Amino acid sequence: MSELKQHDVAFTVNGKAETLSVSPRTSLADALRDTLGLTGTHIGCEHGVCGACTVLLDGKPVRSCLLFAVQAEGAAITTIEGIGDAQSPHPLQRAFNECHGLHCGFCTPGMIVTLSAFLKEHPQPTSADVREAISGNLCMCTGYQNIVRSALRAAELIEGAKP
Amino acid sequence: MSVKTTVSDTGPWVGQPLPRREDARLTAGAGTFTDDIRMPGMLHAAFLRSPHAHARIVKINAEKARALKGVHAVITGEDVERLTKPISTIIPFKMFLPNYCLAVDKARYVGEPVAAIAAVDRATAEDAAELIEVEYEPLPAVVDPWEAIEQPPSLVFDEIKSNVIWHDTFSYGEVDDAFARAAHVVSDRFSVQRYISTALETMGVIGKWDSSGLTLWSGDQRPGFATHALTTALQIPHSQIRLVSPDIGGGFGNKRKATYMVIVALLARAADRPVKYLEDRQENLLGLVHASNQVMDLEMALDADGKILGLKLRDVVDEGSNVINPTLHSMLKFTNMLNNYTIPAVRFEGYAVLTNKCHSGANRGIGKPFMCFVIERAVEMAAKKVGIGSLELRRRNFIPASAMPYESPMGNVYDSGDFLATLDTALKTANYDDLLKQQEEARRAGRYFGIGIATAVEPNSLNLSAYTLMTGRTDTSGVGEGALVRMEGDGSVRVSLGNTASGQGYETVVAQIVADELGIHPHRVTVAPGFDSAVNPWLHCSGSFANKFSGTDVGAIIEAARTIRGKILRIAAHLTGRKAEELTIREAAIWVHGANEPLLPLAKVAMTAYRDLLRLPEGEMPGLEARHFYVDPQSNLPAMSKDDKRLRFQLTFSNSAHIAVTEVNPDTGAVKIHRYVIAHDCGREINPMLVEGMVHGATTHGIGGALYEDLIYDKNGQMLAGSFMDYLKPTALDVPEFEVVALETPSPFTPLGAKGVGEGGSIPSLAAITNSVEDALKPLGVTLTELPLTPNKIWDAIQKARGEEKRA
Repeated sequence: MSELKQHDVAFTVNGKAETLSVSPRTSLADALRDTLGLTGTHIGCEHGVCGACTVLLDGKPVRSCLLFAVQAEGAAITTIEGIGDAQSPHPLQRAFNECHGLHCGFCTPGMIVTLSAFLKEHPQPTSADVREAISGNLCMCTGYQNIVRSALRAAELIEGAKP
Repeated sequence: MSVKTTVSDTGPWVGQPLPRREDARLTAGAGTFTDDIRMPGMLHAAFLRSPHAHARIVKINAEKARALKGVHAVITGEDVERLTKPISTIIPFKMFLPNYCLAVDKARYVGEPVAAIAAVDRATAEDAAELIEVEYEPLPAVVDPWEAIEQPPSLVFDEIKSNVIWHDTFSYGEVDDAFARAAHVVSDRFSVQRYISTALETMGVIGKWDSSGLTLWSGDQRPGFATHALTTALQIPHSQIRLVSPDIGGGFGNKRKATYMVIVALLARAADRPVKYLEDRQENLLGLVHASNQVMDLEMALDADGKILGLKLRDVVDEGSNVINPTLHSMLKFTNMLNNYTIPAVRFEGYAVLTNKCHSGANRGIGKPFMCFVIERAVEMAAKKVGIGSLELRRRNFIPASAMPYESPMGNVYDSGDFLATLDTALKTANYDDLLKQQEEARRAGRYFGIGIATAVEPNSLNLSAYTLMTGRTDTSGVGEGALVRMEGDGSVRVSLGNTASGQGYETVVAQIVADELGIHPHRVTVAPGFDSAVNPWLHCSGSFANKFSGTDVGAIIEAARTIRGKILRIAAHLTGRKAEELTIREAAIWVHGANEPLLPLAKVAMTAYRDLLRLPEGEMPGLEARHFYVDPQSNLPAMSKDDKRLRFQLTFSNSAHIAVTEVNPDTGAVKIHRYVIAHDCGREINPMLVEGMVHGATTHGIGGALYEDLIYDKNGQMLAGSFMDYLKPTALDVPEFEVVALETPSPFTPLGAKGVGEGGSIPSLAAITNSVEDALKPLGVTLTELPLTPNKIWDAIQKARGEEKRA
């Protein structure tokens, strides 16, 4: 069983073209973490409930633990590393810091990736909208309240940055 | 005192809601969790786990697994028995119980590791696990804890001829007299299910051997105990074990696992390569650790005015297969059984019982959520019996602020707190009178609308002398922590601790504390993330447990910083011809008290300490580094006479009042939380923003325990909640917007007046929700004594009540 035929798969990750040779059973999450070293995508349950592994596939949030890497052929993938970093943080990353939207930080990449897509479609959300948007992402530390505040604050920051 | 909500750009830094230093890397996905660590040649482990709750292992054939391409090592119980000694228990009992890292003679719970494989990748290791043939001889499973005591279908450990691993009675005050004098007695049986915090990062370990011994990387929140367990099991010197904790993705008491460490160490040695193991979520739910299910029979004696005279308690803790630290739940529950009331007489009979379930262990608040559930439910029942409101009954029984410090009959000393003020603050914030009107209207409209109140103490730190009383062993006592503070030649500071953060924000709050002590900006203080046993100062009790940071750990940090401060002032005095007492440090400079201009930059003094060695004061050692091991001065040794078992089990006491406003859908039994108000007092708040965040998180954990989470076993000991589809965690839609108000009554017992926070919300929330749901169903006369309040259970209770209504 360990000698499964390897498959080539080509996609872009955070704007960079990548071609990987993967086993057909390799999940997208494992390919991103193990093959590409993008360890910001976290694995919390491997059955699609917790949302920690959320990445954007052609702009839409998906559970990278439930996709095989080979299914992402030709797609544009965005991981937390492509959202922003300490030098040029995304407004969500700034807002999570300002509003204490994280404790241990393990769910945070999935939360931020999910919310980055959500805020594009809902630039002026209510807190109820935000709760709905993150209802598929589990956080064991914060009780969600400061994540909701962070999302609303990020919406303000994004709005304020518009010309 | 009011809590600060804005940050100023000067000190004092303690008390300011400083945003966290650790966030930059964590929000960018640039943290380093155990699974993010890779090393050349690293193999991946998978475990084969028992499908049986209780079964003798007759034979294991691992030949096919060993022969699979890509497999480097396979170990079974036979290897483990040959190569290791049993893992030492944290709290050694007099009786010897063989606790190996893999099942040796028999498997004792569903999910117990039976064999382990190291292979080139996880998938190959799992393929190999499927090829291992195990011949099991199933034995009757011990599932029900009462049955385990009275009519055990079998013995979990044959060695002790009983499933009762501990049974004792503790009595304080004149209990029989209290009940003889009672005008009212309330009695009932209460129970709580198994549930667990499920940190989003599951538990993992990486092990690697080299000429200096064994190095382990693991998100272990109590590294002191882990290394001790390893040296016993592997029979290698303590000094040859190095444990590194990277970022930890949530702890809550659960993140410690010596068995995984021993398995990984054996695989790494057999394969001569580094080996990584990480639980998947099913393994995590089946086998990391559970908070135990508990049952308690309570009798409460009250006088005619509703004054509580005494308690009689009989308690059973289902420890599962726990031989590591049984009695933990019993002790932490029992010694805090007063909650925040003056109860002069208490008798507690406790059983700790072994069953064929996952071992129980530490989880946010250990035992105290159930303590509070029992007492706060009983208070509601007592109020009805006495014929006064439950708020009034609480007011008549609270330990008054004027009585602080207050010694409980068990020997705990409540340091501070104004429980009445906390309750009144919660009521005012909730607009209680208005809520009562809303309830009246809702009831008129046929809605089931409830208001539930619970008050609680949140005990802090844990005096490990307590185990002398539980087990008779006398080799562990007190509680302490280590801290290392080093000011570099440029005046910047590096701090490392024996404790490890798993979300608490130590990189920020420790910088705030040290900045104040050394007169510098917190940005000049770097707190090392994680833990490294080769570098950090640590004791066997080091780590994150029992809310001990705010008192015990802060003591170590402050003492180390003050040692540096004293030395800086002595060197500065020597350099300037002044007396040290004339000088102070602020804004990164040395000042004469009251002067308008600084005397010299702090960096000048620091640089002198490191390079201008001949200009130091005579006898002064160069460098500015201090390592302090702190013993919490509030911890004591137990009085060991037969009649006096008083001890300061826990050392300071935060407190809170929760008000939950709920509505029950009578057609489905589902509970909706409309409002949730919290007044809490954890003494002086080091960082109010972080404190409030922990209050939200801990309360959410309690809401999960009250309404959703249940690690349920069937009658054969099969676990039925092995995924997040079956084990339900609260989502953002299930949790209300918390309304939190803080009071600050500084503790006279801790260096900063700070008290513990983090467990608090999880303690009264079970009771607040249950009191609220019962109040919602008041028109039906339902009594709730069993958790969790699943829709099924509530629906059944409603049907039963309606049936009785009809019959009547």
